[in-house]
Amino acid sequence: MLQFDFFAWLAGIPEWIYGIIQWIYGIVSFIFYWVYDLFRWIWATIFLPSNFMFLFRAIIFPGLIFVVMALIWAVWFTRKLWGRIQDRRGPVHLGKYGGLQLFADAIKLIAKETIIPDNARRWMFRFLPGLLLVVVLLPFAFIPWDLEYWFIADLSVSLVLVFAFLTAVPVISLLAGWVSGSKYSLIGGFRAANNQFAAEIPLIISTIGPALLAGSLSLMGIAAAQSSIWFAVLLPINLATFLVAAIASVGIFPFDAPVADSEIIFGWRTEFTGIHFTLTYFAEFAEQMLYSALIVTLFLGGPIGPLTGPLAGPVNFVLKFLITFFFFVLVSSSFQRLRQDQIVHYCWKYLLPLALLNIILIMLAIVYIPGIAALLPLGGG
Amino acid sequence: MSPDILEDAMELWFGPQHVSAHGWATKLTLVGDYVVECDPNAGYFHRSAEKVLEYKNFRQGALILERMCMLEAFLAEYPYVAAVEKIAEIEVPERAKVMRTIMMEMSRLHSIQFWWGQFNAELGFFTMALWPWVDREYSLDAFEELTGSRHTVSYSTPGGVKYDFTEKSMKQLNRALDRFEDRLPKFRDMQMGSPTFRARTENIGLYDVKQGLKWGLSGPPMKACGIPMDLRKDDPDPNLAYDMVDWEVPITENPEHPGQSDALDRMEQRFAEAETACEIIKQLIPQIPEGPIIDPKARGKANRLPEGEAYARVEGTRGITTLWLKTQDKAQTAYRAKIRGPCIASYYALKDLVPGSKFADFIVIFGSLDPYPGWWDR
Repeated sequence: MLQFDFFAWLAGIPEWIYGIIQWIYGIVSFIFYWVYDLFRWIWATIFLPSNFMFLFRAIIFPGLIFVVMALIWAVWFTRKLWGRIQDRRGPVHLGKYGGLQLFADAIKLIAKETIIPDNARRWMFRFLPGLLLVVVLLPFAFIPWDLEYWFIADLSVSLVLVFAFLTAVPVISLLAGWVSGSKYSLIGGFRAANNQFAAEIPLIISTIGPALLAGSLSLMGIAAAQSSIWFAVLLPINLATFLVAAIASVGIFPFDAPVADSEIIFGWRTEFTGIHFTLTYFAEFAEQMLYSALIVTLFLGGPIGPLTGPLAGPVNFVLKFLITFFFFVLVSSSFQRLRQDQIVHYCWKYLLPLALLNIILIMLAIVYIPGIAALLPLGGG
Repeated sequence: MSPDILEDAMELWFGPQHVSAHGWATKLTLVGDYVVECDPNAGYFHRSAEKVLEYKNFRQGALILERMCMLEAFLAEYPYVAAVEKIAEIEVPERAKVMRTIMMEMSRLHSIQFWWGQFNAELGFFTMALWPWVDREYSLDAFEELTGSRHTVSYSTPGGVKYDFTEKSMKQLNRALDRFEDRLPKFRDMQMGSPTFRARTENIGLYDVKQGLKWGLSGPPMKACGIPMDLRKDDPDPNLAYDMVDWEVPITENPEHPGQSDALDRMEQRFAEAETACEIIKQLIPQIPEGPIIDPKARGKANRLPEGEAYARVEGTRGITTLWLKTQDKAQTAYRAKIRGPCIASYYALKDLVPGSKFADFIVIFGSLDPYPGWWDR
C-alpha cells in the first residue's frame, strides 16, 4: 500500500541535504586533490633538484635548445666556409660576420606562402617535413656529451637505436617525394632511398669495430672505453669509411644525387616551399651534425680528450665536433657529384670491403701484438 | 626497342621551367634510369631577331645580333658588321683589324670561362664553378673599361671599332690575361685529375667525326674529335688579323678512342681553345699598328646601302656562326637577314646522342656540347 507519509518525508529532508552536501564535498575534494597532486607531480618532476637538472639537460644544455642553436651555427658555418672555399665572402650583412643571416632567412621562409600542389596528398605533404626533423633530432638524446653528468640518456643499445631512427629518414624522403605529386620529386625520393641502400651497410659495418672493441652497444659505453686509446688510432680505415658513408647517407655533395639541382631540380624537396622547405633544410644539417657527433663518439674518444678539469667533457666533445663538422663541409665542397649507380658502386665495392678489412686487421692485431688488448676494456695482455 | 619496355616509360619534360634549362625544353622518355627517347624542342626562347633586323638600320643591327648570345657578344655581332662592310664596300683600317681580332679572342676567352663554370655547376661542383668565374670577372672588367659595358659590348661598327684602347684598358686586358694564364694550368690539373670528374665525363656522349658531320656540328665539338676545322685558318677574313699571328688550330686527340670525342675531350678542347686565344692576344698586343680606328667615310656609307647580298661567317666559341644579308637599293634597313647559329646543330644532335645513356648524363652531354638557346631560337 503506497501512501504518501508527509512526516516521514519531512524527517528525510536533512538526510537529503546532507547527501547533496556530501556529493558536492566529494566533487570539490576530488578537484582539490587532483590539483594538489598535479602540483605535487609538477614539483616532483620539475623542481626537485635531481629532476630539475634532468629537465635542464634534456631541454637546455646538451638537449633541444643547445642542439637547435648548434644547428643554426652549423648552417652559418657551412655557408661561410663554402663561401671562403669558393673565393667569395659568404653572408656578411646581418650581424657580425653575417651571423644573423639565418634568422633573416628563416623569417623570410616562414612568412612565405605555403604552396601545396594540386596533385599532392595534402596531409602527408604537411606532416612529413616536421616528422623528418623530429626523427633526426631525437637521436641527439643518446649522444654522450659528458661521461659523468652532462648527458641526457644512457641506453644499453643506444647505438642500434640511433641507426633505427636514421633508417626512417630515407623512408620519409621517399614518401615526401611520392606525396608531392611531381615526377622530379618521385625520382628524387627513389634516389634518396637508393642512397641509403648504398650507404647504410658500410656505415653500420664501420660501427661494428668500435662496438666490438668496447664490448658495448651503448654510445656511453663506447665513449668510456676509449679512456686509454682513441679508436681512431686502432680503426683509421673505419673512421674514413664511416665518414664517407655518412656523407653518402646524408646526401650532400658529392653524393647529392637525391637533390641534384641540375638534373631533377631539387629532388624530393622540389615542391616544398616556405616552412616545409625550412624544416627539410634544417633536417639535412641536423643529420650532418648527428653524424659528426657519432664520429666523435665512436672514434675520437667522445668527451675523453685533450683537456681536463671541470666541464672538460662537453668542451672536449664540442671541440672535436667542430673539427669533424669542418671535415664534412670540406669534403662536400671539393668533389664532383656522382651518378646514382656510381654511388652504389663505390659504397659496395670499396667502402664495404674496407670496413670489414679494418675489423679483421684489428682482431689479428689484438691476438698477435701484445699490449693492445691491455688498452681496451677486454683486458688481458 | 620492344613495345613492352615502353609500357613502363615515363615522359619527363626537361624544361622550360627547369633550373638548368634556361630557355629550352626537351622531352625525355625514361625507362628506369635510362633515356630511350630524346625530343629537343626549339621555340621557348624566340625573340624574332631576324624580323627585328628588318627594322633596324645598319649600325643598330649589330646590337640585336649580340643579344643572340651574350656570352660571346663580340663574336656574335661580327658577322652582321662584316656583311654590311661587304655590301657597302667599306675598307677597315689596319689598327681596327687588330683590335677586332683581340676583342674576338677576348670574347672567346670570356665565353669559355663562363662555360667552364656552368659545366661544373651542371656536374654539381660549385667550388670549381665559382673559381673560373672569379677570373671571368677580370675579363668583364676589361670589357667594361674598354667599351663601358660588361656583357653586350657593342664594340664593332661598320668600318672599324667604336673605342680606342687606352692605357688603362690595356692594363685591365693584360691583368685579365695574366690572371687566367696563371690559374689555368692549376685549375686544369685539378679538374682533369679529379677522379669524380673523370668518372662523370669519360665515355659520356661519345660520337665520331662522321656523326658530327651528319649533325652539322662545327667548332670545338668537332675539333675535339681531332679534326682541325677552323675558319680562322681555313677561310681567313681579310678584315681580321689572324695572319699576323703564328698559331696552330687546337685539336684534342684521345688515344683511347681516336676520331671520337667524349665529354672529357670536349673539356680538354675548350682549355686548348682558351690557351690559343690567350696566345693570339699576347702576340697581337705588341703588333697593334698606329692609325685611325674607323674609316671616316664608313658612317655615311653604312647609312644607305646599295642593292646586294652578302654572306659572312665567323668561327665562334660554339662553332661557325653565319649570317646572310640582303638589301635593296638605297635601303636604310635590311630586306632580309638570316642567321644560322652553331648551336641548332648541337642541340638537335641530342636526339641521336642521348638515347641509351643514363638520365643523369643527359645534362652532362648537353653541357659538353655547350648549346646556347639564343642560337637556335633567334
